[in-house]
Amino acid sequence: MKNLLTFIGLAAIMVLSLFLAVITGDYGPWYFAWLVGTTMVVLISAAGAIMFDRQDEEQQQKQGSIH
Amino acid sequence: MDMLINPTVVELSRLQFALTALYHFLFVPLTLGMTFILATMETVYVITGKQIYKEMTQFWGKLFGINFALGVATGLTMEFEFGTNWSMYSHFVGDIFGTPLAIEGLMAFFMESTFVGVMFFGWERMSRKAHLVVTYLVALGSNLSALWILIANGFMQDPQGGTFDPNTMRMQFSSFIELIFNPDAQAKFVHTSIAGFVTGSMFVMGISAYYMLTNKRKDMALRSFRIATLFGVISSIGVITLGDALGYIDGQKQPTKLAAMEAIWNTDYNTVSASWNLIAIPSRSEQKNIFEVSIPYILTPLLTHSETTVIPGIIQLEQEAKPKIVNGIKAMIALKEYNLDRSNTQALSTFKQYENDMGYGFLAMQFAPDQDLKKINATNLPSVLDKTAKDTIPNVWVEFWAFRLMVAAGFFMLALFAFAAYFSLKNEIEKHPTLLKLAMWSIPLPWVACEFGWITAENGRQPWTVFGWLPTFVSASSHSVGYMVFSLIGFTLLYSSFIAAELYLMFKYARLGPQDDHHGHGHGSAPAGGGMAGQPVFAKPSMDRK
Amino acid sequence: MDAYIYLKIFWFLILGILLMGLAIMVGMDMGVGTLMRFVGKTDGERREALNIVGPHWDGNQVWFILGGGAIFAAFPTLYATSFSVFYIVMILLLFSMIMRPVAFEYRSKVPSHRWRDSWDWVFLISGALPMIVYGAAMGNILEGVGFHFGWDGQYYQTESFIWYLLNPFAILCGVLSLSLAIYQGGTMLMIRGSGALYDRARNYASVGGVAALVLFVIGGFMVSGMKGFQLITGDPGMPANPVSGQTVTLANGAWMANYSAHPILWLVPLLGLAGMVLGVLALRANKPTLGWWMGALAWIGTIGAVGTSMFPFLMPSTDNINQSLTVWNSTGSEYNLIWMTIFGLIFLPIIISYTTWCFRVMRGKVAAPDTQDDHAY
Repeated sequence: MKNLLTFIGLAAIMVLSLFLAVITGDYGPWYFAWLVGTTMVVLISAAGAIMFDRQDEEQQQKQGSIH
Repeated sequence: MDMLINPTVVELSRLQFALTALYHFLFVPLTLGMTFILATMETVYVITGKQIYKEMTQFWGKLFGINFALGVATGLTMEFEFGTNWSMYSHFVGDIFGTPLAIEGLMAFFMESTFVGVMFFGWERMSRKAHLVVTYLVALGSNLSALWILIANGFMQDPQGGTFDPNTMRMQFSSFIELIFNPDAQAKFVHTSIAGFVTGSMFVMGISAYYMLTNKRKDMALRSFRIATLFGVISSIGVITLGDALGYIDGQKQPTKLAAMEAIWNTDYNTVSASWNLIAIPSRSEQKNIFEVSIPYILTPLLTHSETTVIPGIIQLEQEAKPKIVNGIKAMIALKEYNLDRSNTQALSTFKQYENDMGYGFLAMQFAPDQDLKKINATNLPSVLDKTAKDTIPNVWVEFWAFRLMVAAGFFMLALFAFAAYFSLKNEIEKHPTLLKLAMWSIPLPWVACEFGWITAENGRQPWTVFGWLPTFVSASSHSVGYMVFSLIGFTLLYSSFIAAELYLMFKYARLGPQDDHHGHGHGSAPAGGGMAGQPVFAKPSMDRK
Repeated sequence: MDAYIYLKIFWFLILGILLMGLAIMVGMDMGVGTLMRFVGKTDGERREALNIVGPHWDGNQVWFILGGGAIFAAFPTLYATSFSVFYIVMILLLFSMIMRPVAFEYRSKVPSHRWRDSWDWVFLISGALPMIVYGAAMGNILEGVGFHFGWDGQYYQTESFIWYLLNPFAILCGVLSLSLAIYQGGTMLMIRGSGALYDRARNYASVGGVAALVLFVIGGFMVSGMKGFQLITGDPGMPANPVSGQTVTLANGAWMANYSAHPILWLVPLLGLAGMVLGVLALRANKPTLGWWMGALAWIGTIGAVGTSMFPFLMPSTDNINQSLTVWNSTGSEYNLIWMTIFGLIFLPIIISYTTWCFRVMRGKVAAPDTQDDHAY
């Protein structure tokens, strides 16, 4: 039941996003650019932070192997 | 008109609006950007489960909160002032301008303000994912809020979606689609929102640099720095691209703004070799630049994205305005006759004939004897025409330099973010203390850019409140000077004590930094519990219930 | 009747609902602000009081902003004229409305006693003053305001603001509004507070409730005797332009005309009275949640009674009575009202559902935060 609800919820969000994308893509090219751009900025910066953690771990392992 | 418009009241109202708007705009950009940066940090927390990202979200959230309160408080002033100080404006365009403001309240501001409380206080009361959704709703809400405000502003810049009705003496809403998809509103929203992202990035980057320089909580500083630089570098590119688009759109709709922005007095019909002024000292009285440094061949492609479009100069634009003023005067006289006697169909049809130029008739009013257009005759017409035509051009000096300062700050920040992101990605940012110092001292720059951007947009719109339709001169309330002095003194006292308190707290908390300093650099990835000792407890309400 | 007339009436009702929502929700926070110095003897108690409304004051304040925006769009000329005519009090209202958010955010960020005590005064002023102004403005509108219009729709004002500030009926309305706010704020403090704070809040709220009851009855008699306005001719479907198109007369007791025409309308003020009486009784019986709802009912009855008396007038003019602002001559255009209705119908249910969710998430009793703790209000 809970899975079904989650599924319905996600499907609704997807339909809404598609609808928004179609409308803004047709009438408001700059609005569309904002939607895509903002999502991209957030995802790239988040990925950057995760990458930092990876770099950090590698550095510690290196230091650990020296000791 | 049974009372004359007092120019001092109009000027004081303009001063008050400009000061309160510039003040409000100190807090808005940081809110627009910080909410999305907080959401990014929290996203990483939810994905990786690492406690340090929660601490980061809460720490930066606290600085954001200090700023947010003033943003909300001073925003209220803006909404009030349309009614308290710009009654003719509100009456004239309220039917279409008020609607996006009302929708802003319904759709965005309610969301932002309701969820911000839960964002601060609700950490322990819901699942991680639910809290993340709340943070995203705050970010979305604040940016949607900007969207509707700028749709309203777009109408002032380029009135689309409204038509004038002589029976109600106001512009009436006629097309929702035209209003919200107004190209000016679109480009301006994206430009402003992303300028907010840049501001947020600079704020986080600069303060993180300070922590690195002073060896405070490097685990947190390094991670925040990484997020902020990536956020900033992409946003800076976006803000410049959109700024260019906005300039292009405005240039088509408001040639007076464009000419003033670039200090072009004379039209250069040779579009290939036309030169662009890098630096100029414009003189209004002499109608030329006293001094200029210009670069040939780049003006046309830079401004019009073409090689053949002629950019009209100020002197030509003034000449082009004159026939519109003549028509406008006829339109306004007919409109008044019709409004005093609704059965006068002759007056109505005269008005309809010249309707599109009525704004220019309104504009001529301040130069007519006793502000009465009927008293314009063959003798005084040339002088009225001349003064009104000159009045159609905004202050060139302000426009030229405000625009240049904004652009310079924008490009400088792009370069700074690019270097900072590069070294952060290579994980050797700490080896470059000069860059860190530069990042720290550059914190005020995005604010400089935002304020000058606002000045460029709104000074360039003058002498109109609604471009081409309603002049600023007739828009103000019919107050006495005493009222204006009262409110100006009040605002000055109140706002200066607020900014003092805000800066005091901001410096206090930024210097204090994140409170736990137990773990050194690199151990932030310790599992939950490692750094809990000094972890901010936002959720204060105790859980026991009667 | 054509659709435009229905839309005008519909938006008059919405205006009423917004004014009621504003009074209940913002009034409650203002009441807490006013009472804070009195119910909280120690810093801990005062912070307890602040944190009771802490998570919600910001959301509540939006009622105020939404109210402003809705009047701007749905009644542009009313917005332009009323805000300008009441300039001095509007600016004072504005000053207190912008001091309050700042006080919330900044008060507990510094432990110094002087710092906190200064902000506590800000809470008192920024809580009491707006409620007095809110009530006094309604009182003034009932009495009529001195303004008229030029041919282009610009207003001109002829009376000085001293007059409309200092007249007994307006002051009575201001105090009535403050009493209801104190009642509502005190009730909220009882719902989420405990100990000495609870007891003091209970006393102040009861006093507020009784005062409101007395003032409401006196005010009612004053309204029934004062000069009211009556619309003689005026087409409800007319294009919204206040400059011409109506004839209005002044008559003693005219504000009672709607009640005599439709006696069922007496239920509206009676509802308010019932809310006040039952509310005080509920508080004495230690049922603050019931008391809160009764307080809401009191507000609905009070504002509803004013609206019922005045309909279709929004802001009558004493200067040129024919240019009085009514529901018929000062709304937005039909197209605009349609779009506003669409947005309202979509978003109001959404707002109500997430506001309810937020209140549920943050419910429960509040404890006083530690002095040094700067993460709570």
